[in-house]
Amino acid sequence: MAVPCFSEPPRIGGTLVWYFSICHREVWFMSHGIEPDREDDFLVMGRLIDENSYRRDRHSVSFGDNRFDIVKVEDGTLVVGEVKKSSRSIDAARLQLAHYLYDLWKDGIIAKGQLLFPKEKRRKEVELTEETRHRLDGVYEEIREIACMAAPPKAVKNRFCSVCAYSDLCWS
Amino acid sequence: MGKTIYIFSAGELKRKENTVVFEGEDGRKFLPVETTDELMIFGEVSLNKRFLEFCTVSHVPLHFFNHHGYYQGSYSPREFLNSGATILAQAACYLDHEKRVDIARRIVCGAMENMAVVLNYYRRRGNESLVSMLSNIESYKGKLDKSDSVAEIMGLEGNGREAYYSAFDHITGGGPFAFDVRSRRPPQNRMNALISFLNSMCYVTALSQIYRTHLDPRIGFLHETNFRRFSLNLDVAEIFKPILVDRIIFSLINKKVIQAKHFEDGPSGGIYLQESGRKIVVSAWEERLQQTIDHPRLKRKVSYRGLMRMEVHKLEKHILGDQTYEPHISGW
Amino acid sequence: MFVIMIYDVGERRVAKMLKIGRKYLNWVQNSVLEGELSEGLLAKLKAEVKQKIDHESDSVIFYTWRSERYTAREVIGIERNEINIIV
Repeated sequence: MAVPCFSEPPRIGGTLVWYFSICHREVWFMSHGIEPDREDDFLVMGRLIDENSYRRDRHSVSFGDNRFDIVKVEDGTLVVGEVKKSSRSIDAARLQLAHYLYDLWKDGIIAKGQLLFPKEKRRKEVELTEETRHRLDGVYEEIREIACMAAPPKAVKNRFCSVCAYSDLCWS
Repeated sequence: MGKTIYIFSAGELKRKENTVVFEGEDGRKFLPVETTDELMIFGEVSLNKRFLEFCTVSHVPLHFFNHHGYYQGSYSPREFLNSGATILAQAACYLDHEKRVDIARRIVCGAMENMAVVLNYYRRRGNESLVSMLSNIESYKGKLDKSDSVAEIMGLEGNGREAYYSAFDHITGGGPFAFDVRSRRPPQNRMNALISFLNSMCYVTALSQIYRTHLDPRIGFLHETNFRRFSLNLDVAEIFKPILVDRIIFSLINKKVIQAKHFEDGPSGGIYLQESGRKIVVSAWEERLQQTIDHPRLKRKVSYRGLMRMEVHKLEKHILGDQTYEPHISGW
Repeated sequence: MFVIMIYDVGERRVAKMLKIGRKYLNWVQNSVLEGELSEGLLAKLKAEVKQKIDHESDSVIFYTWRSERYTAREVIGIERNEINIIV
């Protein structure tokens, strides 16, 4: 059965950009409101790290369709921080953060990005360049295409399946 | 996956110190809220709104049963998995005659295959009299492909089940558990009382699992959506009734765990399980649900309860146009 | 996994530990709780404990097994709280 297409285009927030780098099927699920089981262990752990790290700087801020983990000012510049469980998918995290910076840039706000890995006690700076802006424009287009597909992209095993909260749905 | 707690005692359910507490005649019992998946309430229990609100935030559904163990209804927390796209696709499948018939046929086919698995299990243990029922089920199953209405499919399901039920006395040896015919509301003999009670446990368990997916339990495919509150759980239960409910019944009877003394006459006719009997059956049911099998695609062990959820996921994928639904057929 | 939690904490925090523990595990006897937990829930329980104890003077110990099957349990004397899914 084809899923009816919605007239409203998908709202592209940070998580959707993140999932785009991980798994296109996940993008389709998310853009159709198909959320994974809340009790999934990986989600429980993720939420926990989210809630318990950097409690001091923590000012979760909503901006458009995004939710920034941390917003602070360092040396007179706005810094947006994104907390991740591990650096296993650092490229995906980098793209997500660049998307935040791009959204801010569109509103005339220049900011810097910081990826934070509390478990590894590491941080990584992210900057917005002309090249990443161009890359993101392409990503948005692809996300819209995925969201308009009549059925989810076929399940393909990748290295994230073993820690993915959708794995019961995909592999049942 | 957390626990299902069955409450048979009389008492009060409360929220206390951010967890669930049951205060009964035998004192106070704390139930860890983080690991409680659902409460099945058989006893005379009182509770208040504050407790229900706590159940909502903790995602703990409550299921209520009456004095005879009949399902009365549920308190389900506000849905937490909600996908408009999935529900529209589910409704569209129901409204499309061919698609609905296809799903109904797949479910009945799976149910019949599992009935055959159960009978074959006992045939392999030397019960050759089951061969004729097996071939009857097989012939009804063969007619499924040619049936093109849900009513016809339902009819074949009824025929298949009748052939299957006629095997029961051959497996249990009849006696105090002779089957005769299927009688409901009220059940007329012990076998019927056992079937009714365990079937309703199976329906409620399926309902709980559906709540943890994106499908709507009100829209079934084999069972008409029109006449009842929930119907998708009845569809899912068809697949599992033979391998869960019926196998438990045979094992309880053949091992003499459940006996005539565990039943009583109802005040207005019918025969029911007594409380002691219900507790025995519920423990056996829970033990079976917690048993695990190796799941070939997920590459991990999955309990029978989990398997029910996987079945709903498979239906969900079928409905979303992702993957054709193939029912779970037991491997033993 | 199967978890046993035991705590030895300052008097003012005894009730707090019990309160936190009871949300996840079954009370067995004074300062001891047990039960089956997923890895995620155990991490959540530990995070709650960490926030409430005095790290200089309190002690909370978690024993874990991959499954209850690898444990044996024998009670001598009385069972203070029988743990059963049928209440």
